[in-house]
Formats: sequence, structure tokens, C-alpha cells
Amino acid sequence: MRGLHAGLLLMGKDLRVLGRSRGLLAVLIGYPVVIAILLAIALSGGDRRPAVAFVNLDAGSGRTVQMGNERLSVDDYVARLENDVDLVRLDPSSARTALADGKVSAVLTLPKGFVADLQSGIRSPVLTLQTNPRSPIEAQAIERRLESAVFRLNQALATTYVDQVLRLVDLIQNGGTIAVLGRTGHLIGLTGSDRILRELVAQLHRIGQPGLARKADLLRDYIAGVDTNLDLARPAAEAIASPIRLDITPGAPGREPLSALGIAGALVVGLGLVGVLLAAALLSAEREDGVLSRLGRGLASPGVIVGQKAVLSAIAATIVGVVMLAVVALATSVVVGRWLLWIPALLLAGLAFGAFGLLIGALARETRTALLVGLMVSLPPAVLSLVPNSDVAYWVSAVAGFGPAARTFQSLLADPDIPGSLWLGMGLLALIALAYGVAARMVLARRMHSS
Amino acid sequence: MCPRRSSTRRASPPTDNTRVTGVPLLTGHGLARRYGAVEALAPTDIAVARGERIALTGPNGAGKTTLLSMLAGVGRPSAGEISWHDGPPAPVGWAPQRPALYPRLTARENLRLFAGLEGADDAAAATEALLGRADLRDVADRPARALSTGTLQRLNLAIALAGAPDLLLLDEPTATLSPDQRHRLWAWLTDLVAGEGMSLIFSTQSIDEAARHADRILVLARGRLMFDGTVPDLIIRAGGDPDDPVAGEAAFMDLVGGEG
Repeated sequence: MRGLHAGLLLMGKDLRVLGRSRGLLAVLIGYPVVIAILLAIALSGGDRRPAVAFVNLDAGSGRTVQMGNERLSVDDYVARLENDVDLVRLDPSSARTALADGKVSAVLTLPKGFVADLQSGIRSPVLTLQTNPRSPIEAQAIERRLESAVFRLNQALATTYVDQVLRLVDLIQNGGTIAVLGRTGHLIGLTGSDRILRELVAQLHRIGQPGLARKADLLRDYIAGVDTNLDLARPAAEAIASPIRLDITPGAPGREPLSALGIAGALVVGLGLVGVLLAAALLSAEREDGVLSRLGRGLASPGVIVGQKAVLSAIAATIVGVVMLAVVALATSVVVGRWLLWIPALLLAGLAFGAFGLLIGALARETRTALLVGLMVSLPPAVLSLVPNSDVAYWVSAVAGFGPAARTFQSLLADPDIPGSLWLGMGLLALIALAYGVAARMVLARRMHSS
Repeated sequence: MCPRRSSTRRASPPTDNTRVTGVPLLTGHGLARRYGAVEALAPTDIAVARGERIALTGPNGAGKTTLLSMLAGVGRPSAGEISWHDGPPAPVGWAPQRPALYPRLTARENLRLFAGLEGADDAAAATEALLGRADLRDVADRPARALSTGTLQRLNLAIALAGAPDLLLLDEPTATLSPDQRHRLWAWLTDLVAGEGMSLIFSTQSIDEAARHADRILVLARGRLMFDGTVPDLIIRAGGDPDDPVAGEAAFMDLVGGEG
């Protein structure tokens, strides 16, 4: 109880001191939030279209794809991709150089035989995309854009194919003119065949051939059955062309949705810097004010001091996180839910960052040094935590809690179901908080009793 | 609050400095402190009586602050132990040389915080009493950083009184003060210590200040206790005349080998 009482007194003191240190408060909270917002804007990409080198290895074929009445060349096909990326037409060697020099973000290659495969309707033609491994965030964005473009193009092609098939079905049902190998002919169709058979049956009855008339009726029944089934082919073919349809309605201008990666990155950087810098500043200020020797007489144990500052930093980081998420929820089209999971996730991340900052604060002699060191050692893991799909980056950034925090936030934002890795990430954050908290307590105890 | 008071290690026995003439308050046996290979304080004995005023004097790096901080429970002795007469450790007030307080808090807020940390039942009432005792009422609501050096030192000492101590430990309390501030502070301290019957140990580099305000002086040099007695004893030991106004300084210089 005495420790709790001391902790609450010191927490009240810290809040009062922070309230009177406007400049410090602006640096501790304003700076990370501004950095986070800039990062979110950068990661979300805005309207910037990445430059992608386009290598056409099928240019010599000169072949075109006949789709119904439409004849598409390779260039027509590729032109449709340019709605999503800026394509720069290059030869293979120049494209490789441009990618290595960072002049383009990726190389899209259309292989030899692409049009033949497309025309065949049997083999799926393959486009290859080579991204820059040194720009994984941009690479991921380009992959998403091109996947989306290819998906839309495939859907358009499928619709064209289905229309073509349905025109043939219509020809079989209702008859009409057809051109095959340059020659034009006329098909009577099922409807015309039925009409001829109906006249034939009437004639057979008139000339006293009821047996033949019954056989002709059987043929008419067959034609009716085929016609009925072909009627069903139309909706079935349309359903195959678009198993799921998505109607997209543009949102209000100026409200570009941020990606989950962008939001998670902004949260991690914002929370991380607030937690680390605040905790480092609070603890180093105790030393700078020369109060540790007084507190070290048993007024407040190192554990109580570390604990109360970790909790204060975690609460501050959580408030910043909740405000940032609320802004995202209100100002963008991103749906932010799972608030009951967000609160413990933000608190645990805040505790981990705070404990890391406390270790820095316990080691530093002055507040300014602590802030500078805190910034220097936090930024590299914060940046590494934004690298997607890299275990090395994850574990390096996990040293300061950034990696697990980033993955936890991404899971909460993007995963449709709550994965087991979410609990693992939260557990790891708790473990990191404990480890740094114990380390900070040990260093502080030495500082308090070293005089 | 009470300083840490136990250590099982005993150093080799030094000269006997544990004699006290009044009612004993505490005895330190073989208190020593090492920082790696550096011996900051060789095993030292010290005894303090109730109401006694002791000056720790010596040149820079003599071990004064080290000994004081161990008595305060801030520094942990590498060897030796402190034992309290009359049972459990008595409350100790500790004022480091540099004011140990929060500059952005007002004088009242600082006192209230430390009164609360010391476990005062009514921190607000204790604060008002301390403001009165330290004559700080006029500046109670000013931020500590806005106070003059002398007033700030008075606040530093008032915080040391927040735990109603039986023993007050002051590390060079007048080192940064002007002569008139020093005079006013000692007038206040003398009344305070005499009025409340508390024991006082303070460190100083001025043999004159020690002679004026202490019943007994302990001279430390290079981490060793060189002398324990009164200033006249020190002068006589050095072959000087106790009535000579500069004899104390000369005896001190003679003892510490010119380091002072």
C-alpha cells in the first residue's frame, strides 16, 4: 500500500510537471504525432502512381486477340494496365538497369507467346512482375495495384468471352448468319427447326403417316428440351464470368483511405516515440533534479519509480493511440473496430515502449541526453518494423517492441479473424515490457545508491 | 524515513571513535565504501549522541559525502554496519549539497509531496507547519526554480525536515551561499536544532564554520578519518594556541597535509 501511495504521489507530480512544461510536452507528444501523420500519408501513397518498366517480348508476333466483334492487340491489353501504374516501355536490359538504379519501382514483362496463349483460351497467359527488394513497401503497393488491374482486366475478358459464347447460343437457338473461314452461311436454329418439323408433322398426318408423325414429334420434344436448357445457359455463363460482383462507389473527394500498413506504421511510430521519449524524459529528469538520492532513502523504491513511470507512459501512449485511431475512423473510410482488443494492445505496446525508454532514462545523466538517445535508438527499429514480410526486420525491431506492436496493430486492422499471432504479439509485448522494466529498475537502483 | 541500517560484513577495527558524551543515538562500526579499486572511505567508526552537532570536514574527495550518504541510507556501505540505540532506526533528514527538489513545483507543492512520501498523516498540515518553520510562507506558491539561492537552500533543508527527523544530515549546506545568506541560514538552523533537540551532522570545508556550529569535528582526508574531537583539541594537538583566530585553519592544514 505504501508503494502504491508513493507511486500515485509521484505520478501526480509527473503530471503536474508535464503540465507546466509546455515545450517539453509539445516535443514529447506533438513531434511523434506529426511524424506519425507524415508517415501515414507517405505509406498510404496518395494518388502517386508508381513508374513500372514494361518489357514486351511478344511484340514481334504482331498477333491480335479476336474477342467477338472486338480485336485486341497486346498494346490494347497493356494500355488497360496504365490506369493503375505509369508504364515505361523499355527493352529487357534497360529495364534491369532502371530497376537497379531505382528509376522504376518494378519491371512488368509480357513473355513471348502471350497473345497465342490468350487466343487459345486453354492456357492462361502469364505476366511476370519483378519488384525491387530494397523497396518492399513500394513493391507491395505495386503488387496490389497490378493484381487489382489484372483482376479487372481478366473480368473484362471473361465478360467478352461469355458474350461471345452467348451470341453463339443465340445463333443455335434462333438462327442467323455465321461467318466461318471467310465464308458466310445461314443457320436455321432450333426455333426454325421446330417450325419446319411442326409443318412436317401436320403434313404427315394429312398424308396418312401417323407413325412417322409420332417420330417427328419425338424430335420436336428433343429440340424443345435443348432450347429450354440453352435458356438456362445464359444466366449460368454470366454467373461464371462474375461469381462475385463488387460495385465500387467513390467516396467524398479528399478522403483517401489509408492502408492498414500505413495506419499501423503511423500508430507504431507515434506510440513508440511518445512512450520511449516520455518515459526517458521523466526518469532522467528525476536524476537531473537530483532527487534520486532523496527518494532512494526509502521514500520510493526503484521498482515503484519505474512502475509508476511505465504506467504513466503507457497511459499517455494509449491516449495518443486512441485519438489517432478515432481520427482514422472519422476522417477516412477505414473501419476501426475491435476497441476492446485495441485498448489492451495499445496499453501493452505503451508499456513495452515506456519500459524501453525508462532504461534509457536510467542510463542517461540529463533529460536532453535521454531524449536524443531515445530518438536515436528508437528510429531504426521503428523504421524496420514497417518492413513487411521480413523476419529479420521483425526480430531486430522486436528488440524495442516495435515489431510485435506493428504486427499486432496490422492484425487488428486487417485480419478478418483474430489470429493466434495476435495473442502471441501481445504476449511478446508484455515480456519486453517486463524485461526492460527489470533492467531499468536494476540500473536505477544502482544510480540511487551509488552516491 | 529510515536509512538502511544493516550490513553483516565488518572491517578491520579502526581506532575507537565510538565514544559519545551524551545519550547515544547511533553508532557506525567500520563503515567503508569502495568503488572498484578506489577506496572512497576506509573503515571508519562514528558515534552520535542525541542533540549533538558534528561537523565533517576535509578537502575535496576526503569521503565526507560518502560517509554522510551512508548514514542517510542513500549510499550502501561496502563494509561495516550502523546500529541504533533505543531499538529501530530513528527518522533521518537528508539534504544533499545541491538542492534535491522539483524546480517546476512550487515550494508548497515540493513540501507537500515529500511530506506525503515521508508518510505524514496530514500532509497539508505538515506542509503549512514546515513553511512556517522555514520562513517560506511568502514564497510558498512560487516555483522552486524562481527562488533565490538562499531561499532554495532553506527549502532544501525544510524538505529534509518533512519526516520529523531525530538526526539531520546536511551535505555542505552553505557551500553556494553568500556570507549574509550563510549567516541567516545558520541562525535558523541553530535555533531549529536546539529547539527540537535533534542531532546534526553537516559537512563543510570551512574549519571556521565547523568551529562555530559544531560540538565536535571529524576530519577526513583521502578517505580516512584523521581526527575526531573539538577544534581546540585539534589546535593543541598541532601545537597551536586555541585563542589564535587562524590556528584552527593551520592545524587543519597540518593534519591533512596541505590538501585543503
